[in-house]
Amino acid sequence: MRCSPRVATVASDADFAPTLRLHPLSWLFVLVSSIRQFIVPVIAVLVFGARDDGSMWGIVIVVPLVVAALWRQFLFRYGFGPRGLVIRDGLLFRNVRQIEYERIENIDTERGILHRLLNVAEVRVESSTGGKPEALIRVLALPAVEELRNRIFERGRAPTQAAPTADEGDILLRVSTTELMRFGFVDNRGMLVIAAAFGVFSQTGSMGDIGEWFGARLFKNDAGETGMAMLAVGAGLLVAVFLIVRLLSLVWALVTLHDFTLTRFAEGLRVRYGLLTRVGLTVRLPRVQAVHQTETVMHRFFGRVSLSADFAGDGMAQSDGDGTPQLRMRWLAPICTPRQSAQLIRIALPMLANDSTVEWELLAPGAKGRLFRKAVLLSSFLLAVPSIYLLGFAAPLVWVAVVPLAWLHATQYVRHTRWALTREALLFRRGWLTRRLSVIPRSRIQTVQEAESPFDRRKEMAVLIVDTAGAGSIASFVRIPYLRGQVARELAMELYRSAKDITIPRTQAAGAL
Amino acid sequence: MQPEANFRTQTQRVDPNAVRVWRWQAALACAIPTIPLLAIGFRIPTSLWLVIVFAYFVLAVWCVWKWPPAYYNALEYGVDTRGITIQRGILWRSRIALPRIRVQHTDVSQGPLQRRYGIATLKLYTAGSHYTKIELSGLTHDRALALRDALLAAGGDSGV
Repeated sequence: MRCSPRVATVASDADFAPTLRLHPLSWLFVLVSSIRQFIVPVIAVLVFGARDDGSMWGIVIVVPLVVAALWRQFLFRYGFGPRGLVIRDGLLFRNVRQIEYERIENIDTERGILHRLLNVAEVRVESSTGGKPEALIRVLALPAVEELRNRIFERGRAPTQAAPTADEGDILLRVSTTELMRFGFVDNRGMLVIAAAFGVFSQTGSMGDIGEWFGARLFKNDAGETGMAMLAVGAGLLVAVFLIVRLLSLVWALVTLHDFTLTRFAEGLRVRYGLLTRVGLTVRLPRVQAVHQTETVMHRFFGRVSLSADFAGDGMAQSDGDGTPQLRMRWLAPICTPRQSAQLIRIALPMLANDSTVEWELLAPGAKGRLFRKAVLLSSFLLAVPSIYLLGFAAPLVWVAVVPLAWLHATQYVRHTRWALTREALLFRRGWLTRRLSVIPRSRIQTVQEAESPFDRRKEMAVLIVDTAGAGSIASFVRIPYLRGQVARELAMELYRSAKDITIPRTQAAGAL
Repeated sequence: MQPEANFRTQTQRVDPNAVRVWRWQAALACAIPTIPLLAIGFRIPTSLWLVIVFAYFVLAVWCVWKWPPAYYNALEYGVDTRGITIQRGILWRSRIALPRIRVQHTDVSQGPLQRRYGIATLKLYTAGSHYTKIELSGLTHDRALALRDALLAAGGDSGV
């Protein structure tokens, strides 16, 4: 069916010779990216080794890299073949790669400060195969990127007319600076910086110095004041860390997600964001595998939600051309109102447009009891040693706190966790402090698994695990626990059966595009 | 709608020879720790050493003698027009359903032990994220090849 054109592609494109070249300064970017890989060992050598012949080593490393980058740029060609994008590449071993236009799902661009000064962009072409991008083009001038994008999405035909409006599309969402500040407040990304700083300090041994400094200040006082001083310093530190985390998260959000714009064009969505490094992402709608909405306590305080999507090809082991893991969140909206979120979900997953109504189902009746017992046992286990150490024979007092909290958790979790199966999709809501909603179209489900542990079996319950492409992150792993055994089995069979029923029209639609 | 009944009627067991392969594999796996186990005999009191060796021996016998047939009894698979369903596990049971249009590619592999008993492992790859490789071991080689062909016959969609 769809296999046959691929065979034909090879035949018809065989005599097609790509002629387009990279931007003349491409070697510079290849060099920068190569040096970036060496930067950590180089810094390590400079800091710890303190070698005098640093410049010598620099020349030894850099010169071959420049030559290789220039040679590679000289050989690189790309072109728009009759059926697919053709890329000729290779340092010693020539490689001609052909990527069918129909299989290209996504064109990402990324522009750092240097890229923006020189008006160029790094382009990643991804197909639905997953794993690595099919092609990493480093770098192209901006008009060439625009041509690439248009030609690919118009199946290689020369554009009939220059349509400047097609570039812009309908703006679905533009996140203002105020909203981004809210997002910064909600997000905990600043914690990463703190963790990194902590790591560096402890590695270099400065941690001990800081400890000594504090110790010297504190213990100079009389013994009676030490306790209070410790407490005050501890509290002050906590507040300071909290404020710094917030501030860093705020700055991080403002810089990386600056001017976040989600637009819609004929076949898909385009996302653009970033102040220093400008990221552009073009995605075809069939590539959207699932949509996840997250709502933390802070989100609720502002009356906002976050919306992200899983794209096919974003597996767990995804890496860019250099082999560095790409852990970028695929935001549809880093922050938006619940109403906007509902609209965006419908746009990202068009099959929901004429879906049946959502009827939420609860977990099995025994779920609350199991959650409660699990929470009590787990926290007792974790707190056993510290509480016996600190409280001695009064250790069981810990249960005064643990039992009500576990009860609260069990009750609230069960109240907020529910699932629904509509004609087109599986919906799953979970959590109570951080609430998540996942929408997985039935036609995107890869495998369905129904599993039962010995504990499940005792209560006649089961877990349903739904696997989709691109669901690498923990947040997008859909696992519905504490279902009644019979319900889980029926749900699994129903999802398994409907996989084919829905995919046939989808395949035809994809062919018609 | 009775998916349960419908599903049950179609399941089959893998080849009984698989039990022998798994027994050999378990025996080999159990043999590896015997070297450090003998070595520590010189460092700890003999009575304690005897207890450890005895416990290990009981565990090894269970793994080699009891576990493979139990696993064999728990392993069932069913193939229908839509795809394949595999049920397995003794304590932690799972039943995974894979529609054939989601099969990206397949492997049929055979190790030396498996070749001796004419057994093969069918590996099905999907474009999913957490369960990208689904294995069914214990099939006869011919059956594995037939299953592979049956599952691939209707393929051709990009599967995503």
